[in-house]
Amino acid sequence: MAIAAPARAHTQAKVQAHRKKRGSSLPVFLVAPAVVLLLLFTIAPAIYAIDLSFLHLKISGGLLGTGTPQEVWAGFSNYIATLSDPEFWHSLGRMLIIAVIGVPATIFFATLFALSLDAKRARLVGFTRLAIFLPYAVPGVVASLLWGFLYLPATSPIGGQFINYFGSTGIFFSVTNVAVWGVVGFNMVILYTAVRSLPPDLFEAAELDGASELQIALRIKLPLIAPAITMVALFSVIGALQLFNEPTTLKPLANAITSTWVPLMRVYTQANVNNDIYGGSATSFVLIILTVGLAIVVNLIGRRIVGRESK
Amino acid sequence: MRKSKLKGVTAAVGLLAAATLVLTGCTATTSATSADSSKTVHLTFTNWDGGMQTVVDEWNKANPKIQVKLIKPAGTGYTLYNKLITNNKAGTNPDVTEVEYQALPALISNKVVISLDKYLPDLSKNFSASALAQVQFQGKTYGVPQNACPMVFFYRKDVFDKLGLSAPATWADYAKAAAVIHAADPAQQIGNFTAADPGWFAGLAQQAGANWWTTKGTTWTVGINDAATVKVADYWEGLINQGLVNPEPNWSAQWNTDMNSGALVGWVGAQWGPNQLPSIAKDTAGKWEAAPLPAWTAGDKTVGIWGGETEAVTANSKYPEQAAKFVNWMNGSTAGINSLIKNVQVFPASTPGQALPALKTPPPFMSNQPDYNAVMAESAKNVRTFQIWGPNANVTFDSYSNAFASALQNKTSLSAALTTMQNATVSDMKKIGFKVNG
Repeated sequence: MAIAAPARAHTQAKVQAHRKKRGSSLPVFLVAPAVVLLLLFTIAPAIYAIDLSFLHLKISGGLLGTGTPQEVWAGFSNYIATLSDPEFWHSLGRMLIIAVIGVPATIFFATLFALSLDAKRARLVGFTRLAIFLPYAVPGVVASLLWGFLYLPATSPIGGQFINYFGSTGIFFSVTNVAVWGVVGFNMVILYTAVRSLPPDLFEAAELDGASELQIALRIKLPLIAPAITMVALFSVIGALQLFNEPTTLKPLANAITSTWVPLMRVYTQANVNNDIYGGSATSFVLIILTVGLAIVVNLIGRRIVGRESK
Repeated sequence: MRKSKLKGVTAAVGLLAAATLVLTGCTATTSATSADSSKTVHLTFTNWDGGMQTVVDEWNKANPKIQVKLIKPAGTGYTLYNKLITNNKAGTNPDVTEVEYQALPALISNKVVISLDKYLPDLSKNFSASALAQVQFQGKTYGVPQNACPMVFFYRKDVFDKLGLSAPATWADYAKAAAVIHAADPAQQIGNFTAADPGWFAGLAQQAGANWWTTKGTTWTVGINDAATVKVADYWEGLINQGLVNPEPNWSAQWNTDMNSGALVGWVGAQWGPNQLPSIAKDTAGKWEAAPLPAWTAGDKTVGIWGGETEAVTANSKYPEQAAKFVNWMNGSTAGINSLIKNVQVFPASTPGQALPALKTPPPFMSNQPDYNAVMAESAKNVRTFQIWGPNANVTFDSYSNAFASALQNKTSLSAALTTMQNATVSDMKKIGFKVNG
């Protein structure tokens, strides 16, 4: 044993050194694909887009330009053009109206469904959960087409002959409805999972103390899933900022939606219809800054609420 | 022909098409590098018209040395043109592409397409001045015009007959007929005013004598809110306000239903209408007739155009000579034009083409009107267009759709929407660097 000890120590040191080496390269190796993909498909295009947002196209000479059009330095003019365009602010305003209707509606229904499914008396839970989740599996474009037909007077089974779903006010509810219908299921699953992971002895104790099912849901479950609700709120706000499919698909059905109706539609129109990819890039960056800002605000508010609850 | 959206190209098909585009782009460059005349040349051709594959097949059979591959673009209209402009730098554009007349100046100023004077025969023999004005700029020719799309008035002959009405000869008659129809049945209207189709309104303005773009030397003048256009806008605004014309956009599910059910008994359309109507109003086949577009003054036969395209050769093409040959065959030769008439229901821009026997039979949807193509030929003779399409008609068109849709939605004045279009167009032209008056 006395002889064997140094040898063992030696091998141990070797193994440790080896482990250390592997320990330092393996995570890098594992993380590499994700990083490479992120760099290649998110960061690199983003840098290119920043570059574009400071350029613009110049044609010169002759009636239709003599040489090849040149990309010239534009300074902040694309950003100034975006920020000084009243239509940009109108599109933001329309998006905000939809967010103000849609975000609370999504949170309310997702929470309602999650708590209802978790209630003791709930029956057919599996089927109902699937049924509520199913709209999320329907692509936004298909959902918008379906709802479009439900809204149009010619084909409407839900009173389109009497209610103007494409009216100047109605259109906001019509678009929000399609969006909320699509995402409630997904958010419900997040909240339901949060409720299910709570320790059941809490509810048993409350039951023994004489709390009703409703009281348990509102006084115990709801505060405990507040962090999950914050996350749902964050998803919904980001979803509202990214609103594009629904209004774009509903646009050809009526006069109510223009090609710059919400900010992302404006970006798309600028870059792909008006052939001003430079202005489109600038608008995108303004939107990214706004999105990040809003996400921080929602997070802060959420934390504050959670913090107060836990006190 | 021009109503792209209708063709129901799904996103999936679009993606496939985009994938093929990439693939063929690769093979074309590797397989045919030498311009040796004994070798077969492979050309790629972007076009979204239904039936075009048959036309291409006929060419390929007759020309084994120049093989053309048809590519359906993922997006049509300006989605395609903007992609061509972007890809031009990368050098990946197809050899030949479909271009609607109003988009050609934009592609020329971005150096996406090339002038074909070196390769084409003298076109002035077979094409009218108004047809050539669509493809010739500053003395250079950029394509062979494919079709003439004069605007015409389609109406439900059965309904008009029952009410003792005939096809309106003037816009005043149109307004009178609109009132009679709506009074006889409040659920019926003579037609709709579409904010979805800038080309449609541009055609009506052309008829009234408008000139949205004019040039002098190298300076542009933009007149979208000129007196003639304002007259057209005011006229329609009056009809809409009286409830005689429906402000709904073309091509929507609602419009299809209204056209099919007989809630709309007329349509201000263009020559290619019968190509689209079967999918819109199939139950009414055989009940429609086409008449010349109502005139502003009795006896004046002037009409505008709505749509129309040419084939152009791109700057990326390695074989412009062969590509021009194909373009000239398709739109300028008897064989090509006959194939277009038969397979794509084209009304040719070529003057001898308009006299081809293939046009003696009306399109299937209009089988009840044997002289359908005679009406088209007469209208095609009296076409008036703008002096030139602006280099940024895309901006003007997008502005039309937005400004007119908003005006119709909020019941504000249509002529104010024209001012919005004018300002958007002028400021964009100035930004890009064109010399603009005013």
